[in-house]
Formats: sequence, structure tokens, C-alpha cells
Amino acid sequence: MNGLYKTGGLVLRTRNLGEADKIVTLYTKKRGKIEAVARGSRRIRNRLLGSTQVFTYGQYLIFEGRSLDTIAQGEIVFSFQSLRDDLEKMAAAMYICELVDVFTEVDVPNDATFTLIYNTLRMIDERQIKFALRTFELIFIKQLGYQPQLSTCLNCGNTVENDVYFSREGGIVCHNCRAKMAPVRKLNKGTLELIKRILEWDWSRIGILHPSDQSLAELELCMRDYLDYRLDRPLRSLEFIHTLKEFDHSEVKD
Amino acid sequence: MAVYAKPLARLIDELRKLPGIGQKTAQRLAFFLIGESDESVRSLASAIVEAKDKISYCSKCFNLTDIDPCNICGDSTRDKSLICVVEEPKDIIALEKTRSYKGMYHVLHGAIAPLEGIGPGELRVKELITRLTEQVQEVILATDPNVEGEATAMYLARLIKPLDIKVTRIAHGMPVGGDLEYVDEVTLTKALEGRREM
Repeated sequence: MNGLYKTGGLVLRTRNLGEADKIVTLYTKKRGKIEAVARGSRRIRNRLLGSTQVFTYGQYLIFEGRSLDTIAQGEIVFSFQSLRDDLEKMAAAMYICELVDVFTEVDVPNDATFTLIYNTLRMIDERQIKFALRTFELIFIKQLGYQPQLSTCLNCGNTVENDVYFSREGGIVCHNCRAKMAPVRKLNKGTLELIKRILEWDWSRIGILHPSDQSLAELELCMRDYLDYRLDRPLRSLEFIHTLKEFDHSEVKD
Repeated sequence: MAVYAKPLARLIDELRKLPGIGQKTAQRLAFFLIGESDESVRSLASAIVEAKDKISYCSKCFNLTDIDPCNICGDSTRDKSLICVVEEPKDIIALEKTRSYKGMYHVLHGAIAPLEGIGPGELRVKELITRLTEQVQEVILATDPNVEGEATAMYLARLIKPLDIKVTRIAHGMPVGGDLEYVDEVTLTKALEGRREM
């Protein structure tokens, strides 16, 4: 079934192969995540050099191979250059790419996920980093089928009235069940409302939300618990994000 | 499989471990070596053993060397106020071929690659910072112009700037002899940004 196909794709990561080749992990519109070889793409004059840089959105002409596909041509549509020129943006974009890489299987197309990654990278590009990351995490896990239960308590099934807690098992917990479902995190009503809006609203409307720093910080901790619970191994890009945070703290101390 | 005599099979197996060498190439190299004179084969074998025994890292710049400090660090005519930071020892060779740089070097032995689990702690970053004495006036960041190289350069710039040392990044742009229409838009944007007056 050796054929040729053309698709739009986002470069999630690259790995060196041999002297001058790269294995490029792309999230494509047509086939979802794919891995393809870009021959000679580490050479300075190679035509694929620019279009196979991480975070690039491009149009690719790809040959199907028995084990790995090969990129024959690549053209940059949007380079996302600013994500490579700013450490915080780069770290955030790497986190998105790693999440997609670890949670998705090869050759499972999902147009909604493609659009979500693209929109999130655009949002990071516009420097709304924290909000972009939290929005991505929530919508992405919803697309994967892990949407947290937000209407009733995860344990007893009753409506949660006053004190709301978030369990890493994926949903809210009432005051009475919090010990049984430990570890849980206290969730502000505003943060719960934010989560619901992100999950229910259209992307164009999410843009008009202006969440408080407190809500974003709360949501970050909840999502960290939930995603780590779902993952087999810790995310490597998180370590880099922590390194940068330590940097900021030490600068403040100085 | 007894297709090859045992010593020949062992030689092919060892050659196959080299980067870029597959079974076919290893076999070709092995047959070539068998056909060579005793003297030239012994000379090759002793060159490999000697290089492995004598080559180590320079205690200052971490380049590969047989003497410590290396030829570049020990050269009194070189400009000690300039340090050029590179990813690998082979980058020094490329820069030295230009004959236009007369400063010192520092080899990081890699680049920050968060997705591979390589952080600043895995590189010779601490050693670079300890080299930044009053004598040093400028640090040139000559890491590769890819995501890992840019991350490393930006990280180092953040680390070094508070020390009141000038930090510069090598220019990005058109390759000499290149054709403008074939250059990708990112490189061309960088080339335009870095244009200079004539």
C-alpha cells in the first residue's frame, strides 16, 4: 500500500537519525499522529530543514513506507517562530506537544484535536500562556474521553452544594466524601465555573474569558493531579518548566 | 551461522557498532582490512587504541585533547576575554576552520532537550559559570539554530546577563552561495532582522 499523500501537520517533536536525518513526529489533519523520516533534514541546505522544525505548521507530501513514512516535500504555512524565541512560550509549547505525544496513538485521525493543538499554540504565541495550557488540558482530556464529572459527587452521586473538592480520579467530591476520596483539593466556586465554561463553550467564546490568577493556579494543581493519575510516567517537559520557575524565584530573591 | 570464519565474523560485528555502518558496509570494510598489509592494519589498530588511551577532556573548556589544558586554552596569543560556547567538540573544529575567531571556547557536551530529559544539569553549564571571571568580557552563544540550541542559548543568556557580561548569539541567515527563492521563510525573516548597513 505504498502511496503518496498530502496533509497539513504540526511538528510535535524530532529525533536525530543517523548522520543527517530526522524522525519527525507530526500531528496531521488526515491521519492524526504519524512518524516520518525527513532525509538529510539536518543539513544546512536541505529543503526540509525549515519545515521540519518543532512547532511548525506546514503542508507535507508524504510517502507511505512499510515501517516509517518519508517526508518528500514540506512547506511552512505558519512557523510559530515566536515559540522558539521565548523560553516560557517554548516550554509551554513543548508541554502541549509532549501531552499529545504520550496520550495519542499513531494513525488515529482526530480533526478536533488538530484544531485544538493549533489554536492553543496560537494562544501561547499571543502570550496567554497559563490560560492556554489549562484550556488545552481540559478540552484535550474531554476529547480523549476522560472528561471530569462536574455535576454530582464522584463518590455518593449527590449534588454538591457548598464546599467543593476535586479528586484526581476525575471529578468533584462533596464535603462528606472528601476523606474517602483523599487526596482531594479544595475548589473555589469560581474555578468550578471556569472549568464548566471551558468544557462547554466554543473556542471563540473561551477567548473572552478573563480568569483570575487564583483560579488558574487552582486549576493547574487539579489538572496536574488528574493528568499524573492518568499517565504512566512523569512528563519530561514539566521539569523544564520547573527549572524556569526556579529561575524566576531566584531572580526575585536577588 | 558459520558463513564467516570466527575472527572475520567478530571483526564485522565490531565494525557494525560504528555509527552509520550497517552489515553490508561492515563486511566490505572487513574484507578491505583483511586484504591490507600487516603494517597498515597494525597502524590502524594502534591508532584506535592510542586515541582512546590518550584523549580526554580539557579541564577548562572540555574539548577533546591529549594535553591538559588543551592547545587552545594553553595558547597565550588567544583572546581570553572572549568565550564561544558550543554544543560539541566537532563544532570547535568547524569554527577553527574559519580562522576568523581567536578567542576561547567552552563545550557543553549537548543541548537542553526537555523532551529527551536533558536539562541544564546534564550539561557543562556550572563549569562555564565558574569560568566567567572579570577577565571575560563577552560570551558568544554558538549553539545550533534548532529548538534545543535556541533553548540552551536563551537559558545561558538568562544565567549570564546578571553577571554584567556581554552575551551575544551567532547570526542566523542565508547560506553563502544560496539561492534566495529556496530559503525558507523563517531563515529569511532572521536574515532580514540581522541585516547590516553596507
